[in-house]
Amino acid sequence: MKKTHALLPAALLAALGGLAGGTDAHAATYLLTAARPNQLVLVNATERKVERTYPIPGDGIPSVVALSPDSCIAYVLTNRWESVSGIDLDTGKEVFRADMSEPGLRVKTMFAMTVSADGKELYVHQIPTRLKATEYQVEPTRIAVYDTAAGLGARPKKTFPAPRSIVQLLPARDGGRVYALGRELFAFDTHTGQLAETLPLQSWKQPNLSAPDVLAVWPQWEQSGVFATPYYAARTDLPADSPEAFRTGLLTLDLKTGAMKATDFEPTAVVIFSSVINPVKHDEAFSVYTQLSKIDLAGGRVAKRIDLEHTYYSINMSADGKEVYVGGALGDIAVYSSDTLEKLATIPLPGGVNMSTASMRVVQR
Amino acid sequence: MKTLKPMNQKADLLDDAIAQGQAEDVFLMSSVVGCTTTTDPGWEVDAFGGVSGLCQPMEADLYGCTDPCWWPAQTADSLNTHPKWTAGADAAEQDWRKLQAVFPES
Repeated sequence: MKKTHALLPAALLAALGGLAGGTDAHAATYLLTAARPNQLVLVNATERKVERTYPIPGDGIPSVVALSPDSCIAYVLTNRWESVSGIDLDTGKEVFRADMSEPGLRVKTMFAMTVSADGKELYVHQIPTRLKATEYQVEPTRIAVYDTAAGLGARPKKTFPAPRSIVQLLPARDGGRVYALGRELFAFDTHTGQLAETLPLQSWKQPNLSAPDVLAVWPQWEQSGVFATPYYAARTDLPADSPEAFRTGLLTLDLKTGAMKATDFEPTAVVIFSSVINPVKHDEAFSVYTQLSKIDLAGGRVAKRIDLEHTYYSINMSADGKEVYVGGALGDIAVYSSDTLEKLATIPLPGGVNMSTASMRVVQR
Repeated sequence: MKTLKPMNQKADLLDDAIAQGQAEDVFLMSSVVGCTTTTDPGWEVDAFGGVSGLCQPMEADLYGCTDPCWWPAQTADSLNTHPKWTAGADAAEQDWRKLQAVFPES
C-alpha cells in the first residue's frame, strides 16, 4: 500500500491491505457499486456491511464502474452518461473528470467503458449527436482514449472510429487490444486504433442456430480474467412452438488469450442478465436475474437454480469462490453459498437507494 | 414498402434510399429474451407470453428502464428530456408514488 489512507478506518485499511496480491483466500471481499442519487458504495461483503459511501460531484445517475488495476481509483459513468468521474477510494476525492459533451454536441456512452491493463488509459465508446437548430445530426461513433493521469477537465488524447451499438469495452491483459462488444466482437489495436480482428456474433454460422441475441452491459471479469455474458438463439430446424426451439448459452471471452467461446447450456427457461466466472474454477459460472443459476460449463448444463426474493441485475463472487453476491436493480446486495445456493445474508444499502444498472466490482489489493 | 406511399419529402428520401440500397439494414432477431440490445417486447408480456419473466417486483426494473432510456414510452426519458424525473425518489419500491406523469413541453 503506497498511498496514504488518512480517511479510511483502520479496520478497512487492514482488510484492504490483506487483499494485496489478491491471493489471500481469508481476506475480506470488498465490493464497489454505484447507487442513486450519485454515489459510489463500498461494501465489506465478508462482514455483511456497507463500509463507506463516496459522493460523486455533479448530476447522476451513475452506472458503469471500472477500477484501476490497483483498485485505488474508481471510474464511474454519470451525469446522464455524459461524464466519467474518477474517485480516489482512499481519499474520496475526485481525481479525474471527463465531461464529454460540449455546447451544441451531446456525447453519451451506453455502458462501454474500461481501464487499460496497465491503468494508464481509459477507453470510452462515445455516441456524439450534433444538436442543431431544427434537427439532431447523428455523428459517427468512436472510442475515445483518455490518459488516466489527465486529472480534472480531461480531454481525449486520441479517438478512433468504432461501430455503433457497442455496450462493452474489455481490455486484453497484454494491453495490445481493447475488445468492443456489439453486433460482433471487435478487437482494436490500442496503439494504432485499427480494427485488428472481428469475431462473429450476429454473423456467426452455427448449424441450425439463428444469430444470437446478446445482453452484455455488466462487466465482472476482474478476478477470473474471463468476461461472460448470456446469449439467446433460436433453433432453425425446429418449429417455433417446440420447447427446444430457443436456446440459452454463455458467451465467454478470455482476456488473456483472446479466445471467445459460446457454450449452450439449456433450452431457454428463464431470463438471465449478468454472469460471472468462478475465479477458482473457470468451468463454473453463476448467472442472475429473478433466479440465481449455477452453470456447469464443462457439461453444458444448469447444475442448480433457485428463485430469488426479487430481481437482481448484477453478480460477482468472493476471491475464494465460496460466495456469490447479487446486486443492482433495487437497494440491497444478497449473499449466497456458491456450493448450495443457500442464502447467507442480505446487505441493505443506506436508505435502500437503488443501484439500477450499476456495475458491482470486486476491489482487489 | 410496396403498400406504403410517401406523404412528405422525408418519406420520399427514405423511399429513394431504399430503392438505391442506401438505407441501413434493420432486421428482426429470431429470439428476444427480456431487455436486449436489439428490440424489447415491452412491459406487458415476457418472451414466453407471460409475466413471470419480467422483473419481480416491477419496481426492481423501474430505474433500469428509465436510466438508459430503454423504454421511453413507459418511463420518462431521464437521459435527455426529463433528467430530474426520479429526483428525490432514490428507492423505487418506497418512492414510486413520487413519480409523476410527464408531458411534452409546449
